Amino acid sequence: MERVKKSMTGFLVPVLSIILAFLIGAIIMLAMGASPARAFGALFKGAFGSAAAIGTTLNKATPLIFTALCACFAYKCGVFNLGGEGQFLIGATAGFCAVHLTGVTSFPGILLCLLTGTLAGDIWGLIPGILKITRGLNEMIISIMMNYVATLFMGVIYTSWCRDAGMPQTASVDESVMLPRVIPNMRFAWAFVPAVVVGLLLYYFLYWTSSGFKLRAVGLNMTASRFNGFPVKTYILTSFIVSGAIAGLGGASDLLGTQYRLINGYGVGYGFDGVAMALIGQLHPIATVVVAIFFAALRVGSTSMQVATKVPTSVSDIIQALVIVFSVAGMALTQLPEFKAFMLRLTSRSSGKKEERKEA
Amino acid sequence: MLGFLSNIIYATVRMAVPLLFISMAELYSERAGMVNIGLEGLAVIGSLCGFLMSFITGSVWIGILCGALVGILINLIYAYATISLCANQIVYGMAINILAPAVASFVYRIYFGDGSSLNQISLMKTISIPGLKNIPLIGPLLFDQTPMVYLAIILVIFTAIFFNRSKAGLNYKAVGEHPKAAATLGIPVIGTKYLACIICGALSGIGGAYLTTCYSTTYTEGIVSGRGFIALAAVIFGRWSSGGILIACLFFGLCDAAQIRLQVSSLSIPYQFFQMIPYLATIIVLALVGSKQAGPKANGNPYRKEER
Amino acid sequence: MEEILRMEHISKCFGSFYANKDINLSIAKGEVHTLLGENGAGKSTLMNILIGLYQPTEGKIFINGKEVKIDSPNQAVKLGIGMVHQHFMLVEAMTVFENIILGDRRSKGILIDKEARRKEIVELSERYGLDLELDKLITEISVGAQQRVEILKALYRGAEILILDEPSAALTDIEVEGLFAIMNKLISEGKSIIFISHKMREVLRISDRITILRAGEAVTTVQCSETDGQKLANLMIGRELTPSHYEKKSVDEAPIIELKHVDYNKSSKHNGLNDLSMCIRPGEIVGIAGVDGNGQTQLAQIVTGVIAPDKGEAVLHGKTVSVFDPNAFIENKFAHIPEDRNAQGLIGDMSIADNLVLKKSEQKPFSSGKGLKLNKKAIRSYADEMAAKYDIRCTSVAQEVRSLSGGNQQKVILSRELESEPDLLVAAHPTRGLDIGATWFVHEQMIAARDRGVGILLISADFDEVLEVSDRILVIFEGQIMGEYSGKNPPVEEISIAMTGK
Repeated sequence: MERVKKSMTGFLVPVLSIILAFLIGAIIMLAMGASPARAFGALFKGAFGSAAAIGTTLNKATPLIFTALCACFAYKCGVFNLGGEGQFLIGATAGFCAVHLTGVTSFPGILLCLLTGTLAGDIWGLIPGILKITRGLNEMIISIMMNYVATLFMGVIYTSWCRDAGMPQTASVDESVMLPRVIPNMRFAWAFVPAVVVGLLLYYFLYWTSSGFKLRAVGLNMTASRFNGFPVKTYILTSFIVSGAIAGLGGASDLLGTQYRLINGYGVGYGFDGVAMALIGQLHPIATVVVAIFFAALRVGSTSMQVATKVPTSVSDIIQALVIVFSVAGMALTQLPEFKAFMLRLTSRSSGKKEERKEA
Repeated sequence: MLGFLSNIIYATVRMAVPLLFISMAELYSERAGMVNIGLEGLAVIGSLCGFLMSFITGSVWIGILCGALVGILINLIYAYATISLCANQIVYGMAINILAPAVASFVYRIYFGDGSSLNQISLMKTISIPGLKNIPLIGPLLFDQTPMVYLAIILVIFTAIFFNRSKAGLNYKAVGEHPKAAATLGIPVIGTKYLACIICGALSGIGGAYLTTCYSTTYTEGIVSGRGFIALAAVIFGRWSSGGILIACLFFGLCDAAQIRLQVSSLSIPYQFFQMIPYLATIIVLALVGSKQAGPKANGNPYRKEER
Repeated sequence: MEEILRMEHISKCFGSFYANKDINLSIAKGEVHTLLGENGAGKSTLMNILIGLYQPTEGKIFINGKEVKIDSPNQAVKLGIGMVHQHFMLVEAMTVFENIILGDRRSKGILIDKEARRKEIVELSERYGLDLELDKLITEISVGAQQRVEILKALYRGAEILILDEPSAALTDIEVEGLFAIMNKLISEGKSIIFISHKMREVLRISDRITILRAGEAVTTVQCSETDGQKLANLMIGRELTPSHYEKKSVDEAPIIELKHVDYNKSSKHNGLNDLSMCIRPGEIVGIAGVDGNGQTQLAQIVTGVIAPDKGEAVLHGKTVSVFDPNAFIENKFAHIPEDRNAQGLIGDMSIADNLVLKKSEQKPFSSGKGLKLNKKAIRSYADEMAAKYDIRCTSVAQEVRSLSGGNQQKVILSRELESEPDLLVAAHPTRGLDIGATWFVHEQMIAARDRGVGILLISADFDEVLEVSDRILVIFEGQIMGEYSGKNPPVEEISIAMTGK
């Protein structure tokens, strides 16, 4: 009963937040003189209207799933890793360099790229982790600074070291290492599959293994975990490494699956968006994957919306931001004692018998 | 050589000022127990608003004022969620970091369209204080700047007096240290926290608006480029005192100034390496300083009035 | 006598729970009026209503015969009500002086007028005999001095009615004497004091009248001169108290753990250990008596491996310990009931079941394949079994442990620790904040464990508890062992003097 009630609010809060955010989006559209019905119709059609659209949505979702799971896993262990973006980009950059510089092709190339990317990601995650454990530094600030460093380092690659002729971008990776499509006429690449698999694995690990159970305990109460004999520092460091690795793998897979080359503006906002999605998904890996797909759909659909109704894509950015703003506030609201008392009164009024028993 | 040096110092001050406003915003927030990592977002919307209103009205001062107002407005969302709903401050700061830039880019696109035409405004004029500005080195540094620099200096001095000498400042600090004790003494905890958020919103908005009215003639996405986060480091580095924060901001300003200098002077090395300097400096400084928590005791904790 | 304060029909609900129910209270000018009751009887709630922190759900308050509405602490201050909280409301990062003038609205001006304020405070402190060093930080002064700061703070705000919430809890006997002297001085100056305590001896000594609270209701008010300890205890608990006397043992088997000349943070009087030696043998309860904050916390944490000593050694089953790590100690069959159950013992957001298997989730039958697959059914049925065995009152073992009462939370820890079949149990303040029933249950379980051969280190600030169950009593003061006494017919006077460092 207790569990059911909890998961109900866990589900209702994000859903209500989404509805509310869409309502405000509709008001903005009305103010701009557009028809919300048409706009949302175009948005939905653009995201799910055809096999190709669904493919694009899933493709777009892939990097978001990775960064969201990165944030989700770290936060489960009480670590606020805001460096998903840097870890993602360094993964993509390292993966690119590995195949570009060695010239390894086809399957070994893919493997090399993914491995290097994963490794680079976890090194990027490890640095704030080590600084937190040895120097007690706040991981948020350090991991954000690492984001800027990673972005700039990627810049070095595409503007100087591996620049492709005139444009500030690299050449694309060799065709033989590009990930093929899962279903030929749907545009999504194999990179989507490992994203979902990582989500499922995380779910199993966190909720069905003893280590995952302890990791969650560390995340919820570090002191008590230490008193109960858990190697807290090891868990924290592991969570940095693994979450960095997830983001790094994401970067490398996205590079081979859809992006193919490093270019200005790549990955901007993936990290923070990932954190937001993990929070909306209540830090549950599977819910997080679903939320990431939903957000990707919003993004993909908003382009069609702009074409069809002239409503700019940034409206959908605002809708996304509002979902976060509402759902986080909503979750806090449900924790307030006043709210709990209010809900108790509601439920006891609906079942009068219980009340009588209490009076007696 | 002297010219080079004073050039660098001049640039340092110019770079330090926006950071100083944003760091002071965080100081006022944290002194009331509110960790706000949404500064970046607040500065972004402040910079857009500062630019837009200067563009429309032609007055940079109206731009700065509007930057402050919009900063307050957005930060009140944070305030309501974290103070009244007791939402996690860190998480909500993140939400602000996503919301504010989204709103900023929406407003920019609506107003200017998608066209790539460069919209510029004229920057705030410097005001030199006659006589004083002729002192070598310090003269041009301190007395030949925009009024915003003078305002920043006044802010630092005011803040130092406020927290160390005034009754109101003492009460304010108590809210961040031990809100329950403050409440038993009749200090309005909730009110102080809201006030802190208003000050924080205004100052980060001003910090953002500075960037588009005194520093760059146009608004681009990413103009704040992490200053909101570096400000968090500056507060830790400055040990929650306004003097310390001033030194920290000057240091980060110096990194920024040096970075730009070096970019121009050594073209053979990819410029991004120099751009990394402020971020790497932040990491290194924090690693050296460590984080023996010297901050307000109740920082980051929600305050519930009737708690059992 | 002239009545200064009257509370009529006060009720306060938290959700569906009544913390106060229809309470009437009358305080006369110049009296010490005690509120006596167990933890959770509603004393603190009632006082929080009086000082405007809580709003009563129902009821009226009269001061000097006039009805008042106390909707904020400010209002309470204006009405002349001041409170010294059990957990001091002092800002540690500020000086004594700053704490006293905090929130002051009497003086005009923006800046702090240090000279004038200082003069006022010095005058006031001399008048009531509250000597204080105004420029010291709160962290630098003793607990007794901190309490004087609190009293002075209230007087500075013009308090006529002073509420003292368990003021003697953290004090040494000598400091308590000082406190009583101050209280007498206050009464002679016409102030009224509401004294909250459950220490019978003190209550009988200092009170004029006593109001007994039980389960949120006021049972009765009696004249102090017309009652005695036994009557009060019965009123407080609502049934006859049968003192249970446990049989005390003495064992001389080889010790499980022995500390030799242990130093930890030696320079600190309150949070360190200084050349401390002691041992715990199987089948005995070693009680550590002492006023809170004399190194007990550090002692418990060294014996459980949470912290490592700076100097000296710990010998475990004859072998010198080299690694201080809680896990190594747990593997050596050490169990720990930590002093702060919420922060150190339990994962509040996890379920009762999860907390019960916290240390053994990787073992069979709770998981298979060395922890690779949790067996949730087995965990659940084990938890159900434990809830029944240890009388953990809950709607379901899937309930979050945070939502349990303190007593039931403690039973969860007790169950987890005792079911691990330890050789040694470190119990730090195991009954703090528990009601009499739960306290009795914890004591019974500890005695039963002792009789099974478990060595127990009991650390408690409650002297009566130490006397009740210990086979051997060690007195700790400023990180040093001041003496060792047998648990059989212990010399109570001598021990209480030793607790003050003499």
